[in-house]
Amino acid sequence: MINRIVTMKEAAAETIIIEAKGLTKLYRRGAYEIHALDNVSFSIREGEFLSIVGPSGAGKTTLLQLLGCMDTPSSGEMLIDNQSTKGLSDAKLTRLRREHVGFVFQGFGLLPTLTVMENIVLPTLFSRRNAQSTAEELLETVGLSSRRNHRPHELSGGEMQRAAIARALINGPKLLLADEPTGNLDSTNGAAIIKLFQKLNRDGLTVVVVTHNSTLAESTRRVISMRDGKIESDSQPVFNIGSNSNHLSI
Amino acid sequence: MMELAVRNLLRRRTRSIFTLLGVAAAVAILACLAAFGQGYQRGLSQELDNMGMQMMLVPMGCPFDAAARVLKGKTLDVSLPMTALDAARSDKDVQIAAPLLMAALPRPSEGRTDLWVGVDESIRPLKPWWKLTSGSTWFTDDHSVILGAEAASTELRRVGDTLFSPEANRSFRVSGILERSGTSDDSLFFIPMHAAQEMFHQSGRLTAVAIRLRDPEQITGVSTRLQNTPGAQVVTMTEMMGTFLNLVGAVRTLVLAIAIVAITISTLSVFNTMLSAVLERTSELGVMRAVGASRSQIFRLLAIESILMTAVGSAAGLLLAVVAGRMVGRVVKNFVPLPPSESLLAVSGILALQCIALGVGVGLIAGIYPAWQASRLTPAQALRVE
Ligand SMILES: Nc1ncnc2c1ncn2[C@@H]1O[C@H](COP(=O)(O)OP(=O)(O)OP(=O)(O)O)[C@@H](O)[C@H]1O
Ligand SMILES: [Mg+2]
Repeated sequence: MINRIVTMKEAAAETIIIEAKGLTKLYRRGAYEIHALDNVSFSIREGEFLSIVGPSGAGKTTLLQLLGCMDTPSSGEMLIDNQSTKGLSDAKLTRLRREHVGFVFQGFGLLPTLTVMENIVLPTLFSRRNAQSTAEELLETVGLSSRRNHRPHELSGGEMQRAAIARALINGPKLLLADEPTGNLDSTNGAAIIKLFQKLNRDGLTVVVVTHNSTLAESTRRVISMRDGKIESDSQPVFNIGSNSNHLSI
Repeated sequence: MMELAVRNLLRRRTRSIFTLLGVAAAVAILACLAAFGQGYQRGLSQELDNMGMQMMLVPMGCPFDAAARVLKGKTLDVSLPMTALDAARSDKDVQIAAPLLMAALPRPSEGRTDLWVGVDESIRPLKPWWKLTSGSTWFTDDHSVILGAEAASTELRRVGDTLFSPEANRSFRVSGILERSGTSDDSLFFIPMHAAQEMFHQSGRLTAVAIRLRDPEQITGVSTRLQNTPGAQVVTMTEMMGTFLNLVGAVRTLVLAIAIVAITISTLSVFNTMLSAVLERTSELGVMRAVGASRSQIFRLLAIESILMTAVGSAAGLLLAVVAGRMVGRVVKNFVPLPPSESLLAVSGILALQCIALGVGVGLIAGIYPAWQASRLTPAQALRVE
């Protein structure tokens, strides 16, 4: 069983879905500039589960937003499926985002006026797709079927986060980006979210999480550690059963 | 998208409603104004057309005021000599010249003042709306009186009854009663010219002469000739209408200024509402951008919210104009010169469409900047705002 999964992952691991080349993001604050990101280069292979850690202000969110095409770098380049995103119009970036990326926000980002179900299908409103059946399946996956007509303020933090994850998946993205997905949750709910991510990753989804949660970081096979806008260390994935089998068993 | 917009508006219910009311008030003012203008102009020209006369001879003084008073059935302090009538009648282009003598008869015992008008047969073609009730006849002798419908009902008289006036110490026989016409004639007492001159001690005097021409084209020639009549001056009906319209026009300009201020204020308040909505919801808009909303979709969402608010607002304003306008119209009628008998307000379909279009325009103008502001942000920027 374990063998089979790993074999599949090994095959998928050959495909690089995102490549960052010298990503730099400058913010101007008054007279001086802040290097939120400073010449960051790395790549993500399909099917990877990686976490980005580092102290506050290290540039984690900034990096995640660049990976999700939500912002453009001051310099450097991003490739998605070997296609450069440099110089793409806002409309094209929006399309990429819509079709390839699911995003889970730190504060859940659910719209208070919409029910759980409506929040989940919100992305399809903009892509004009009908995803009713996908939405039903996702509700089932995240275990919120009984909460479908509730408003966000009637949900617990864990439920809100699960709704947010379902929404991130509605357009069938290849890449899931999550910023502090367990930051607002207690350990039990946090563990449930970690489990959910692992399940999604096992099903082939590439997952990138920014986290302070050591349990979450340990559960991913690759950890990028950042400081002052730079990558401090990157535990490159070792595609070797022996060194990683303990994580896969969770 | 529409539904999302409606929900966003409902979320900030109080604010949306106040903004909406502002738009409604502004549109109501403007709609009333436009409807009043159209209604008044139409009513006035119809009334003057019906009158079948093109000019009037009135005593020296302010001619328009005099003419308006005569038309409204009020008395004048000054009078014309009979020679004015003769001058008019002898002019070759004059078809009919009808003398009028208006006099007020105070009725202290009743607490009111009756208006008596001396006329002769020549007035009848000039009052085409006059209809005598059945059994009525024109004056049979100098003691005949014809009553307006209103006058007849307050006096409780029917055709053939005797009407005694203790104030003038005279008695009349009611020879006819006019059907209700909705004009000032309804409350008047008409008696033969001679009788009137005698009764009010105005022998040989007249209040005005109403004139119909053989050919309305001749108006300038006739008016120059009659202008020379001693003690009299000519007022043409077109001049009069122009004066009234000018007068009303001045008032309208004032109200229009108020309406423009109201529209401006309501535009600003929509602008303010939308701008603060954008500021409040920036992170929410960032979420939408992040999950795949394009710039134009965000722009559209906010534009819809803005337009929805103002369109509903102007529809409400229109409704208000129709309902409240009717009441206002009744009040205004007492202040405008020569109020037409029909409704002063004419809310036409076109006017309604114009108002709605105005509302949508306001929504668009007020919404463009906030919507653009919202759509301009990158998702990352929007998400950073807490
Ligand atoms: N819009 C901005 N304008 C100016 N500076 C910014 C802006 N956005 C981020 N920064 C700065 O860039 C740096 C990196 O920010 P970022 O949000 O990526 O950090 P982070 O690693 O996510 O921190 P945290 O763990 O607290 O979320 C910080 O110093 C931050 O103050
Ligand atoms: Mg962060």
